[in-house]
Amino acid sequence: MKYVDEYRSAELARGLSAEIASLVRPGETVRIMEVCGGHTHAIYRHGLEDLLPPEVELVHGPGCPVCVIPMGRVDDAIALAEQPGVTLATFGDMMRVPGGRGSLLEAKARGADVRMVYSPLDALALADELPDRRVVFFAIGFETTAPATAVTLLRARDAGTPNFAVFCNHVTIEPPLRAILETPGIRIDAFVGPGHVSTVIGTDAYRFIPEEFGRPIVVSAFEPVDLLQSIAMLLRQRVEGRCEVENQYTRVVRPEGNARALHAIAETMELRDDFEWRGLGTIPRSALRLRPAFAAWDAEELYALPGARLEDPKACRCGEVLTGQIKPWECGVFGTACTPERPLGTCMVSSEGACAAFYAYGRLRLPKEPVGA
Amino acid sequence: MTPPTQEHCITCSDEAVEAVVVALDGTTALVTSEGAEERVAIDLVPEAALGDILLCHAGIALELVVQG
Repeated sequence: MKYVDEYRSAELARGLSAEIASLVRPGETVRIMEVCGGHTHAIYRHGLEDLLPPEVELVHGPGCPVCVIPMGRVDDAIALAEQPGVTLATFGDMMRVPGGRGSLLEAKARGADVRMVYSPLDALALADELPDRRVVFFAIGFETTAPATAVTLLRARDAGTPNFAVFCNHVTIEPPLRAILETPGIRIDAFVGPGHVSTVIGTDAYRFIPEEFGRPIVVSAFEPVDLLQSIAMLLRQRVEGRCEVENQYTRVVRPEGNARALHAIAETMELRDDFEWRGLGTIPRSALRLRPAFAAWDAEELYALPGARLEDPKACRCGEVLTGQIKPWECGVFGTACTPERPLGTCMVSSEGACAAFYAYGRLRLPKEPVGA
Repeated sequence: MTPPTQEHCITCSDEAVEAVVVALDGTTALVTSEGAEERVAIDLVPEAALGDILLCHAGIALELVVQG
């Protein structure tokens, strides 16, 4: 299959694995953060860590859009779903994320009208089908997903759809990367940049990483050979004394991104003053809200929301997982009190979450506990 | 397009899929990937033509994929 077979070639992967081993000095440690949850998932699914020398440590980043949503925003979504006449539509994983008052799935079990959709456009179509209800789309995601919400809002405006609204939780990728780079005690030597986000924002958006922080970044596609090639490109930069933004995903990512997508976002949304991120705290100008011109479709303007800030469960260490400070299995509740079937923290919900990905593909490698100990 | 398995994330998340255009109807394209068909909005890639590969995500096409 085109764009699958050639990027999963064992021969190519073996060659890149050998090249990566030749680009590190024995005994050194190079910590590479893969920013995107899709990369985390691919790394575990394909067992890529087994193809890397011990000198290369992969650190999982904050790029799973489900994982970074704080519990208070989930409670706000539940409050919306419980409004009379409201049908709340959202992506599947968001229905399982626990807030302070349980999950949207549990709200649905209590009688709220919560629907799963694959696209905000499906939510808009649902509004046409349910003229007596207001369909509120619980929007999450980085710049990959924001264009879909933007296009949907533009279509709702153009069609004059009165019974559709968006609860906007879109976030942007640059601020959390800055937050990680500015956090004392977190050492990241290089970044594998997100592929699909970069389709929208372009590779130029990452120039601050080498220019201000002296770290290289390679924007990568998602197949195993893509990721290995990106890691090799990062290590080659180090060996050659370079520090720059490089693009491995040239078949789809351009330096300037997609101007139409950026324009659609800018027409419908603007930066919030600040936004709470799970695990990273409140980050200024890191998330989007609807512009005043779209107030008629803005759930935060149409309804009074609790807006509470809730502490994560004490046992949950999602924050440290999201910033690469611990590995998923180092959390005390990993695989016991917190599983994909009954997640305690967000990282165990989405298959792009580091905990869920490791639970699905990597946990059998953990040392077995002695029987009877 | 994203079946509810561990193979792909069933949410929006940040996963996008490369799919081939098999039909066009105004601002909508019918695309196919790994045997699954889906209609996607092409507002952001209006130049899409039959046979093009589009990067699709959450019901819209984000970009044309350069075919090597």
